[in-house]
Parts: sequence; structure tokens; C-alpha cells
Amino acid sequence: MKHFTKFLVLGIFAISLFTSCAKQPTEQIDAAKAAITAAQAEGADVYAPEDLKKLNDSMQAAMDEITTQSKKFFKKYGPAKEMLAKVQADADAVKASIPAKKEAAKNAAIQAQTDAKTALDEAKALLDKAPKGKGTKADIEAMKADLAGLETSFAEIQTAIDSQDFFGASGKAATIKEKAMAISDQVKAAMEKVKGKK
Amino acid sequence: MLRGIIPLCLVLSSCQAPPVPPEVERVKTQEHELWRAGAPIYAQQDYARYLEVLGAARDKLNREKARLRWFRDYEKIRADFLVVLNQGEIILETVRNEKQTQSLDYSQRLSVLRGRIAKIKTVTESMNENGQIRRSLTQAEVASQEAGLLLKNEKYQELEPKLERIDLHLRGAQEALFGLLARYADEGQVDQWRKWAEDTVRESRRRGNTALVVKKLERTMTVFRSGRPAAIYEIGLGKYGLSDKLYAGDEATPEGRYKVIKKISGSRFGKALLIDYPNDVDRREYSQAKKKGLIPARAGIGGLIEIHGGGNDCLTNGCVAVRNEVIEDLFPTIPVGTPVTIVGCLESADRLLSSLGKT
Repeated sequence: MKHFTKFLVLGIFAISLFTSCAKQPTEQIDAAKAAITAAQAEGADVYAPEDLKKLNDSMQAAMDEITTQSKKFFKKYGPAKEMLAKVQADADAVKASIPAKKEAAKNAAIQAQTDAKTALDEAKALLDKAPKGKGTKADIEAMKADLAGLETSFAEIQTAIDSQDFFGASGKAATIKEKAMAISDQVKAAMEKVKGKK
Repeated sequence: MLRGIIPLCLVLSSCQAPPVPPEVERVKTQEHELWRAGAPIYAQQDYARYLEVLGAARDKLNREKARLRWFRDYEKIRADFLVVLNQGEIILETVRNEKQTQSLDYSQRLSVLRGRIAKIKTVTESMNENGQIRRSLTQAEVASQEAGLLLKNEKYQELEPKLERIDLHLRGAQEALFGLLARYADEGQVDQWRKWAEDTVRESRRRGNTALVVKKLERTMTVFRSGRPAAIYEIGLGKYGLSDKLYAGDEATPEGRYKVIKKISGSRFGKALLIDYPNDVDRREYSQAKKKGLIPARAGIGGLIEIHGGGNDCLTNGCVAVRNEVIEDLFPTIPVGTPVTIVGCLESADRLLSSLGKT
């Protein structure tokens, strides 16, 4: 009986030692959450939305694991900790990848803006060369107005870049470039028409 | 005692825990699919409820997982996750329908706006003073192309402001057009033009001679022989051809009843028919405008208004231009003294402007 009581006390001591040692990894949870928030703040929802969603899903899976373990008699937070560490590392990696993606989008927008400007300048130069005054073809005057409209729209590209809407800026620039090139072609055709009639 | 415990332990350890139902993984995939399809945007409330139900099912799953493996039973969990799956399917369908509806709605609205752009463009194409209108139309076209891109990429939430922008540019173009054609929609003015044209044709019929009627808005010149229309030609006008000429250098084409006063065989634009602008009415209008300070102090009344060659796509300083072949054909048949009546239009532009949205 004496032995049995000894074993019982020891057993209870061992069990309480196991269960009390396994505490929820609150620090890791906070760190993983903070890493996701930081990635989001960097612009992950715009530049890496799919990655951000995966991070949130992995975080949810880790939290599920923690919930499960918290309800167990013998708690084992090791796998959850590993999951949280991976979430944190992945979030850090996503965050680190954003500036490059942002920079690439910005560079693409600036390049598109430059291309649009070149196309506009070319059309403008062609229009300047077109005959002036009496006898000018009416369509050349109309093209000047079209070009003026494009120049007004062109100014909006910079506004979009300034507000970090790089995709919007690229789209607008591509449209302006296309239209400016179409004007150049039309001017060339109109000038040919004038030349042909001389 | 040990002999009893050992077999029991062996039996218990050989018992495997039931597997987590496959529906759990399917829900995970479905939730991602819903997010990707845009459920947080297109079925916001349903998706929030879905996540709530999913959260409850997950809690139950976690609780079940926490039980000793011999006592785990996932049947209820499976049923819960099946409910979530069904709910998700319905939301996915809702999202697809909503996106289709929005796509159709925005496509139609964009198509209507593009139709308005095309209509104004067509109406104003032959107007030399369409600068402001074309500037606005070009801006509308740029915005319309951007909207097309957003539509293609299913970014419906960004489309509304883009469509508003197109509409804004179009309203700018319409206002400029309405201002330009205000005189052409004025019944009193149109009646006067109509009277000039009718008198000219009647006179041509009575005298059996040739008369020319120029309609500026239509950009045509009709040749009447003995009061009957014999030919219609397309014409070019001054840079501000739709305005009535008031003074030298305004690049407007005069309106009134004139006569050919000289035939010029070798002008800069081939053969030319000089008309008697300014007539008495023009001189009176010029004096009045000068008194009111409506024209530059040093500006003269101008003159040398001709019907000449150079092409109907020619931009003149106020003359009426036709194709070289036309003036070559007409020149021998038009004697000095031939009446030339220049009017804005014979049909009020009111209906045209109403069709473009003028109220």
C-alpha cells in the first residue's frame, strides 16, 4: 500500500509536470501575426495577394493545431511552433519580395510613360512639319486636337505614378502610346495626300 | 493483474484513430477558390456567414482531434463540413452570377458610352472648329480603352469611376458642340436661311438661270438650273466656317445672298469664282459689331471670298473649296452674276442635338 501511494504521487507529479510545461506559444503566435501584418503593410495585398492569402491560411492551420493541442491532456505544441515559425519565415520572405515587385511595377510604369512621351513627341513633330495656313487639310487640324487631348491624358500618368497606382499608370500610358502612334500614321497619310495633289 | 493489463494495452494500441474526413481538405480548397473568385467582394455577407460556419466546424474538428483517439468520431464533423461545402457551392454560384451580371451591365454601359463617342465624332468630323470637342473625345477614348482593360480583367469595382470619367469628358464634348451649333438650332435663324434658299431657287426657276446654294452644316453646294437641283458637291470651309464672317482674318465663311462678280482662271487654287462679299447687309453687321466692340479695332471687313478648287477636305480662310475637277466642270457653266446663297442649314439642328442628349 505504501508503495502504491508512492507511485501514485510520483505519477501525478509527472503528469502535472508534462501538462504544465506545455504552454501555448503566444510569443510565436504574436510574431507570426506581426510578420503577416508587416507584409500586408508593405503592399502584399497588391503585389502578392496570393501569397498573402496562403500566409493567412497557414496561420489559421497553425491556430487550429494550437486549439486542438490546448484541449488535449498531454499538450504537444512542437508541431504548432514549427508551423508558426514557417508562417513567420514565409511572411518575412513575402515582405522582402515586395519592394522588388513594387520597383519593377514602378519601372514598368515609368518606361511606359517614356514610350508614350516618345510616341507623342513623334506625332507632334510630324504635325509641326505638316503644311500650315490656307490649304491645310482639315484632318491635320483635327489631329492636332486629338493630340492635345492625348497630352492632357498623358499628365494623368504622373498622377497615377505619384499615387503608386503603377498598373493604372502603365495601362494609361500604353493606351496613349497606341493612340499617338495611330495619329503619326494618319499624319503621314495626310501629308502623302497633300504631296500627291501638288 | 499484469496478465490482464498487458493484453488490454495491446488491444488499445492496435486500435487506429479514425481519419479526418476528406471534406475538411475539400473545404480548405473551396475556401481558397471562393477567395480567388472574389467572394469577399461579390458575396460579402454570404462569405462572412460562410466563414463563421466554417469557423464553428473547425472548432468542433479541433475539439474532436483533441479527444483520445479511441473516442474520436468524425461523423458529425463530416456532416458539418458537408454543410459548409454546400454553402460554399451556393456562394460560388452567386459570385459567378454576380460577376456575369456586372460584366454584362458594365459592358452595356461602356458600349453605350462608346456609341456616344462615335456619334459625336461622326457628327463633328466635318466641322473645322471641332478642336475642343475632339480634345474631350480623345480623353473619353483613352478612358474608354482603360475601362475595356478593367472589364477584361474583371476589375469591376474600379470601373464605376472610369465610366463616370468617360461621361464627364463626353459631357464636355457635348457642351462644346451645343455651343457651336446654337445658331443652327435657332428656329428664327433657320427660317431666315430657309427663306434665302427658297427665294434663290424660285428666282432661278423664274429666270431659268443657274444658282448655287451652299449649306455650311451639311458641307454641300447644290447647283440649281432653272430652279431644279442639277448637282450636289461636297465642300470645304474656313477654319471657323460654321460662324458667320464678320471681319478680315476671322477665318469664317460668310452667310447671305451673294453673286459671282468675277471669274478667275489662274488663282492659287486653280479656277475660282469671286463673290461680292461684303454686301450691304455684311457692311451693316460689321459696323454694328465694331461699335459694340465685338471685333478687333483695327480689323477690316475683309473680302476676296471665292468658290475655288483645292479639295473639299481643304481648310480655307473663309472661302468655299471644292475638288479641282468640280471647279473645272463648273467654271464654264457659271456666268458672272450667278446668285450664290450661303446658309447655315435648312433643317434645324435641334433634333440632332436632342439625339445627342440636349435637353
